[in-house]
Amino acid sequence: MSGTSESRDTMTFQERLDALVGTTLRSDDVARGPDPVNQPMIRHWAAAFDDQNPVYVDPEFAEQSRFGGIVAPPLMLQTWTMATPIIAGIRERGGSPVVAEGESPLTIFDDAGFTATLASNSEFEIDRYLRLGDVISATTVVESISTEKQTRVGRGHFLTWLTTYVDQNGDTVGTQRFRILKFMPGTAA
Amino acid sequence: MKRDGRADTIRWDEVAVGDQLPAMTIDVTATVIVAGALATRDFMPVHHDRDYANAQGSPDIFMNILSDTAYCSRFITDWAGPDAMVRKLAIRLGAPMMPGSMLTYTGSVTAKSIVGDQGRVEIELRATNDLGEHVSGTATIELAL
Repeated sequence: MSGTSESRDTMTFQERLDALVGTTLRSDDVARGPDPVNQPMIRHWAAAFDDQNPVYVDPEFAEQSRFGGIVAPPLMLQTWTMATPIIAGIRERGGSPVVAEGESPLTIFDDAGFTATLASNSEFEIDRYLRLGDVISATTVVESISTEKQTRVGRGHFLTWLTTYVDQNGDTVGTQRFRILKFMPGTAA
Repeated sequence: MKRDGRADTIRWDEVAVGDQLPAMTIDVTATVIVAGALATRDFMPVHHDRDYANAQGSPDIFMNILSDTAYCSRFITDWAGPDAMVRKLAIRLGAPMMPGSMLTYTGSVTAKSIVGDQGRVEIELRATNDLGEHVSGTATIELAL
């Protein structure tokens, strides 16, 4: 993280935000998926979206496909590294699944009253489909933080980050640019 | 249309710029939204707790963006078939998707190219509900030549 606590006292809010561009989103830098890519979570996902693509659930079919075996749905990539949530207190934490450690863009926004979150963009590039047993880790870097905007839902800042997903060998399997709005509830235009 | 055999994967040379993808309609209930949020491991209360959503200024719970990307990929591969590979998907959210409305996906082919031994197809897509345009975006798939 940039800046000492002393210098933070003299920085404006926007300067503190600007100082976070280029830093990693989480204090521990890497989010490792709690479980390897597995059939039960894939089956759950396919059922939730009624996606009947057989390469996700039918081993015989998948073996004959270009993938040569069962693969995870490509847009399930983000799901593998989602944190195992601590349900108790999630409401009080503004929906954050885990207790944040250290200063991050999200805690800075929350402390300033921009407690609500709305996703606005998600852009994936898929290098390869994941196979059963792959272990996925993600590194997320803050790409940009906007100045304060008045939006339909309220006043807030757009935060854009770039996540790189790697497998157990350190090879990149995909990237994702994600943009959220952190806004102040009750300030709708 | 459900494609359930390798022979049912669309061939690159039978795709033409301007082709329309078959529309896909989802009857979005609270169950649909909650099932999608949990299957994507997104426990943000705005996607399952109406009281919490109300406190954030939303009239109801609303679909999470991981469900949106999931439905977009299903929309594309329901058309293209199981041997198609999704290489890119970029979406932008507009009107929120709350329970009690139909969500209809439409899309069309905007470009074709060959990269190595793969045929690429570019698609633009959108999904609309009773509030307007919920999702707009672009995708790239690869098909074996």
